[in-house]
Amino acid sequence: MEWGIGLFFYTGAALYVLAALMAVLYLQGGSQLTLGWTTGLTAAGALCLTLVLGLRWAVFHRVPLTTPADSINLMVLLCTAITIPMERKEALRPLICFYLHPLALLCVITALMAHGDLRTPPRELRSSMLALHVGMAFLAYALFFMASMTSLAYIAKARHLKRHSTTGLFHRLPSLEQLDHTLYRLIRAGYPLFGVTLAVGLMWTHTDRALLGTHWYLAPKILLSLAMAAFFSMAFHGRRKGILRGPKLANFVFVGFSVFLAVYVVTALLHLREYNFWGNPG
Amino acid sequence: MSLLVTGLNHHTSAIEVREKLAFRPDSIPAAVCELRKRLDDAGVVILSTCNRVEIYAHHSTLDADALFERVCAFLAQWHGTALEEFQSSLYTHSNLEAVGHLFRVAASLDSLVLGEAQILGQVHEAYLTAQTEQAADKVIHQLFQKAFAIAKSVRSETEIGAGNVSISSVAVDLAASIFEDLAGKTVMVIGSGQMSELTLKSLVSRGVREVIVVNRNFERARAMAEPYGGEVLAFDALDEHLHRGDIIISSTAAPRFILHPDQFQRALKQRSQEPMFVIDIAVPRDVEPSVGDLDNVYLYNMDDLEQVVGENLDTRRQEAERGLGIVQRGVEQFEQWMRAVVAEPTITSMAEECHRIRQEELDKTLAALPDLTDKQRQEVAYLTERVVKRMLQSPMTQIKHEIGHHDPHTVLHLVRQLFGLKETQ
Repeated sequence: MEWGIGLFFYTGAALYVLAALMAVLYLQGGSQLTLGWTTGLTAAGALCLTLVLGLRWAVFHRVPLTTPADSINLMVLLCTAITIPMERKEALRPLICFYLHPLALLCVITALMAHGDLRTPPRELRSSMLALHVGMAFLAYALFFMASMTSLAYIAKARHLKRHSTTGLFHRLPSLEQLDHTLYRLIRAGYPLFGVTLAVGLMWTHTDRALLGTHWYLAPKILLSLAMAAFFSMAFHGRRKGILRGPKLANFVFVGFSVFLAVYVVTALLHLREYNFWGNPG
Repeated sequence: MSLLVTGLNHHTSAIEVREKLAFRPDSIPAAVCELRKRLDDAGVVILSTCNRVEIYAHHSTLDADALFERVCAFLAQWHGTALEEFQSSLYTHSNLEAVGHLFRVAASLDSLVLGEAQILGQVHEAYLTAQTEQAADKVIHQLFQKAFAIAKSVRSETEIGAGNVSISSVAVDLAASIFEDLAGKTVMVIGSGQMSELTLKSLVSRGVREVIVVNRNFERARAMAEPYGGEVLAFDALDEHLHRGDIIISSTAAPRFILHPDQFQRALKQRSQEPMFVIDIAVPRDVEPSVGDLDNVYLYNMDDLEQVVGENLDTRRQEAERGLGIVQRGVEQFEQWMRAVVAEPTITSMAEECHRIRQEELDKTLAALPDLTDKQRQEVAYLTERVVKRMLQSPMTQIKHEIGHHDPHTVLHLVRQLFGLKETQ
């Protein structure tokens, strides 16, 4: 069974990389056929990664969410799943080309660095709440990630329009209003979901005191999550009230998410994420 | 067998000549029948548009020169014009050149406005008329079906049709790249002018429902708004109502700027920063250029629109090169098909000759063996049939292969000599 996991994982990663290459071709002037291939390869890649998660669940009899590889797989899968409703709208179909490159990069990182073994979670984490909490958190992250990439598409389109240039990407991208609505919808879905995720996390810690240490407020994961919730709250309410709209919202979301991502990567590299809630380095 | 196209178009003739040779749409069926008669039941298609008049003809025996002469005579007689009046404007292509020409025409690579979509429909219409009049033979049918497929490939695999190439269409395209759906949007026209009316008309045809016309001359404003059920506003009310316009077309004769950034800032605040598309087609300009620096305002003046038209034309020209590559591949595929068609009579007579010999020999043998039962006779007949079929299988495959790679006439001549077949046309 384990060879099957490896086979599907590497096939899935390769399909995402191929899809990203097709996306480059499409953005550089490829036809609708190229876009069709991009979508098809992504769907095939997502199917492979779903099989990987399913097989790992079947092999280890445990929700496979405790390794970086599984988390990244889940993130890639959720992002792909979110594009499905978009694919139904013809004008939004090319947006997938904007999301694919970072997703393919994530697949490559997993393939090169992450380990395939399933870590035995500590006693406190052996709960169905883990799947719920982590699943919801990653869905919210996926929505935020896609919001940031949609912002990038908005910035590119608005820049073309301001410069009176209709070449290159211009014809590939949906209208500004569609991009703005898509961005708002992603934030509108992600922001409350992330709030609920934090609430579920809080409830979960109350079921077991061991989950919430004495120094929980110093844990980077908690601080980052609270900051992210506050940030997207500002984006959501700013857009709703018309204060942040169009290029302002797009720049705000893209820069903000990039900063969060950078901080996340730095804390991961410095092993600060493993700082446990009891105030000890992991 | 020859395939011919002859005609004239915007490259080779002035409109006065094209007018003389143009066919009225209702006269084309009769013209097709008449031409078919004159060409001894050839396959015939007449394509007549405002930019070209072309006749496609296929005949299995007549050569291209003979076809050309008869087509010219027909054109002169049908239109009551002396041949000399248009002969110098005519172009003619035969066989594969004619194929390539049709593919380029259908794919809009030979059009006055490169990449325009109308021509494919016109070619299709011409083919359907020929088909209705039973003037589309096997070769014409295959030729036009291939032309439609090639045109579709060129359109889907290249950007030949991307971006509009007229100012008013470009303005509508830009509006569509800012707004999701033009149906719910409001157009505000300030001033009047032919270009602003054209742009307004294009926007309304794309779904815009609400029109506001602002003009110092109330009567002129009403005349412009009336066909669209639009609202008329006095010029003094412009400031107060500016926020209502999603698309603003300005073309007044004012000697200085009439719209300034502070007015747009107020308007944007009133409309919760929803984007505004401002088309300034007035010369001198109506809108202060710094309005374009505001977030959520997209300002285009005449020069900007012309720049977009130029870019779109450049893109189409570049894409045309790719389109020609697709056409070339199509011509090669059609050539293969044509070669197979040319070989068909020889292959058929070769098979018939072999079966004739088989039947002769079988009859002789069966006559010499009168004691055979019916079942045995049948078995012997099947045996000879199987032997002939198997013996023919390899030469037939080889002939098809050879005519695809060498001169088909040489190959077929050799086959006819080898099998003692009569020469066919």
